[in-house]
Amino acid sequence: MNTFPGPENSWEGVDAYFTWANSSGMLVLFTLVTAAICLGVIIAAARHESETADNSK
Amino acid sequence: MTLEELNVFVTTQANVGMEAYYWWCTGLMIIIHVGFLMYEVGATRMQNAVSSGVKNLLAFAFMIPTFWLFGWWIYLAFPGGFVPIDLEGYGVPWNVSMGPMLSDQATGVFWAAFTLFACTTASIFSGAVIERIRISAFVFLAVVLGSVVWILAASWGWHPDGWLVTSWGFHDVAAAGCVHTVAGLFAFGVLLNLGPRIGKYNDDGSANELVGHSLVLSFVGLLTLIVGFFGFLGACLIWAGSDFGGWVNIYGAPATLSSFAFNTLMGLAGGMIGAFWWSKGNPFWMMSGGLAGIFICAGGLDIWYPGFAFILGVIAGCVIIPANNWLHNTFKIDDCVGAVSIHGVCGILGMLAVGLFASGFPAAGDIPPSNFMGQIVGIITMALTGFIPGYVISLVMKMAGWLRVPDHVQKAGIDKAELGLQAYNQ
Repeated sequence: MNTFPGPENSWEGVDAYFTWANSSGMLVLFTLVTAAICLGVIIAAARHESETADNSK
Repeated sequence: MTLEELNVFVTTQANVGMEAYYWWCTGLMIIIHVGFLMYEVGATRMQNAVSSGVKNLLAFAFMIPTFWLFGWWIYLAFPGGFVPIDLEGYGVPWNVSMGPMLSDQATGVFWAAFTLFACTTASIFSGAVIERIRISAFVFLAVVLGSVVWILAASWGWHPDGWLVTSWGFHDVAAAGCVHTVAGLFAFGVLLNLGPRIGKYNDDGSANELVGHSLVLSFVGLLTLIVGFFGFLGACLIWAGSDFGGWVNIYGAPATLSSFAFNTLMGLAGGMIGAFWWSKGNPFWMMSGGLAGIFICAGGLDIWYPGFAFILGVIAGCVIIPANNWLHNTFKIDDCVGAVSIHGVCGILGMLAVGLFASGFPAAGDIPPSNFMGQIVGIITMALTGFIPGYVISLVMKMAGWLRVPDHVQKAGIDKAELGLQAYNQ
């Protein structure tokens, strides 16, 4: 397992090698941000639809 | 070269070959979405052409992160029913297995292939609801279908440890049930609450034909879609690397790509010919018949005799038009592309065909042989798993006022009212 900023000086013993691979808190944080973006965009789109529908009456 | 070095070489090549195979299958599956885009945009009236395309593209975009967030985990965790099994963290997005690993050449490419299966499932639903569903509502429903519902059904019936497989011997190698039936019946449930496009039905109940703006775009899109399905069907087989000595189907039984090649092409041709005959030459239905011919063969794509696959395809081509008419006349739905008939009905017929004509085929390990009762249980499970969430969730959304584009926006055209665009300079 490796961590940010990536392999320190060698690939020896490396398995998971992406950024913050050994920091479960960061991985959970990015997961939550990803979920929040998906949900937030759907909500924003719904609001836009309602506004344009009201404006076009 | 020593025997040990030779073993390492062979294993490495097999693993790299496996990775490359699913990588390219995934790429080929994106062509399905090119096809769906052309197909649906062509079937849409000009005033809504852009919004139909946007909706289709968003289904693709939202499916990828949501399938990474929870879709893949659902497939792995729920083969026993509704209670998740302990995977020791594997499959959740914060586990190291869901990122680049030097010791794991399989998870990423299998996740990618399943993600594109999910995108395809959502796109099946997409065409049925064009021109009057709110884009945000569609995206939400597409995520529910693509990253939750179908993959739960896949965990039950398209997984070697799924309860439908281990308890009933359910056989559906190319997803006639969990993809096509689930998507078709989910769309049916939503259509009942969504209602038809304005102008589809008259007060006396008679229907009007709301013709899309480009029939040519639609049927070229359908042929493009069929190209992409070769990636989909190819990814339904498991390249077992050096472990098992070749291809196995998703249940672990021996299979070949050759069997898929025989039966995909024969089913496709049968469906096109059957629908050409039944529709008296309508190219939209002829190409839809080709798809239906593949889907009716999907359950037993590894075991059909090609001549029989052709006959199944002809049956599918002849069934889709009367089935579509019956659904419209009985339930007054407005399925703009015949998705319920093509995917839902032909998916059910495909699973039934395995029970009627392929009972007794052996499976791997302790899995029971294919049998009629197992297929019936599978049909009921897949149909209900698609229909119930589609109907219930869309009913709640309808009650909340978050499902249908208001009538005045439909009349003005969604492209102009919501997006400020038009598909063509007029």
